Amino acid sequence: MKRGSLYTLAYAAVLGLVCALTLSAVDGFTATRKAANARAEEVRNILTVLGVPVDADAAPQELLRVFEDNVTEEERGTRTFYSYEHSAKGFLRAVRFGGPGLWGRVEGFLCFEEDMRTISAVTFYRQEETPGLGGEISSSAFTDQFEGLSAVGPDGSPGIRVVGDGADDINEVDAISGATMTSDKVEDMLNRTLEEMIGRDGFDG
Amino acid sequence: MARADKQACATCGKGVCDGKGVVTFKDGVWHINPVAVQVLGICSALAVTNRLENSLVMGAALIFVTVGSNLFVSLLRNITPRRIRMIAEVAIIATFVIVFDQVLKAYYWEMSKQLGPYVGLIITNCIVMGRAEAFALSNRPMVSMVDGLANGLGYAAVLAIIGFFRELIGTGGLFGHQLLSEAWYTPNQLAVLAPGAFIALGFLIAIFNAISGANREEGSQR
Repeated sequence: MKRGSLYTLAYAAVLGLVCALTLSAVDGFTATRKAANARAEEVRNILTVLGVPVDADAAPQELLRVFEDNVTEEERGTRTFYSYEHSAKGFLRAVRFGGPGLWGRVEGFLCFEEDMRTISAVTFYRQEETPGLGGEISSSAFTDQFEGLSAVGPDGSPGIRVVGDGADDINEVDAISGATMTSDKVEDMLNRTLEEMIGRDGFDG
Repeated sequence: MARADKQACATCGKGVCDGKGVVTFKDGVWHINPVAVQVLGICSALAVTNRLENSLVMGAALIFVTVGSNLFVSLLRNITPRRIRMIAEVAIIATFVIVFDQVLKAYYWEMSKQLGPYVGLIITNCIVMGRAEAFALSNRPMVSMVDGLANGLGYAAVLAIIGFFRELIGTGGLFGHQLLSEAWYTPNQLAVLAPGAFIALGFLIAIFNAISGANREEGSQR
């Protein structure tokens, strides 16, 4: 049977419509759960960087409950601060940071002790650096170095350094071998945040 | 065309699979296994097989998509205008892939994060489009579903085997549980990195072809 262009157009329109409606229905059906998952993911990252004890396979509702019971959210300007009274480290305050990595955007949380001069922890929750090289920024071997790191250099200027020749100073951590680009970019994005934090008013000390 | 189909069916009496259900199934899983014989769908087969669990979910995703898309491509085969048939196939395939992806995001968030973009990339997987073009377009719905199932299973089985060995060798465990004691087994991380995927797949294809005799060059002796 010979069919005209009109038939082709009508067929395409109907097929497109049916597919679109199917997808809209599925999206509507799963929207609540997807949003809850995304929120739980964010909450888990915040709890991790603040060192709030939480079960590794806690359900989304459980995470939200722990978060609401322990963490205070506070908006200051464009940033949101998350604070928590840690049993050993005292008052902690975490903030989101991010910037371009080597292949894509890198995002994480930076956690300060009460003096806003000492870093308590750094985590990366989103990165697509080279697996095995730059990707190691997410590994504990790299992030553990930030615990107790000074956010100011020996001369008092804000900023940390990710160095390739051995970390000596109070504000230096070891870079990752073979991942100079990623290390430099991570240093840049952390320092941009640190300069903003330490240069700003509103936090004592 | 449509009428000829019906007549053949009414007279042959071979059931909904036109008497070729079993052959179709064996072909998909074994004789023309999409990964091991045709070497299709390699990108995802290499990328997600560093964990057995990932491999199984990815296999399930592909089975869902090939069965669903083959069914609908076959149902619509007589009313689809030839000129836009490939676009129509892609639309159908994409719908199934996105449905699976969304459900995964809602009910299996951790896995969804692990698989990353590879579920979405099933849309461009040669196996799915290949089965729609080569089989569903010229066969009836039931046997097309069998073909989709068989090819999906063929793909899933290969992924499961590769995932099994990569995770076991690379981490010394399966499903995240340690099986080989670290006292005497040092996990070989090469297996879970990209080169390990190529090596594992290469071995698998070689062994598979040696057993099945597929891809043997004409005139060559065993």
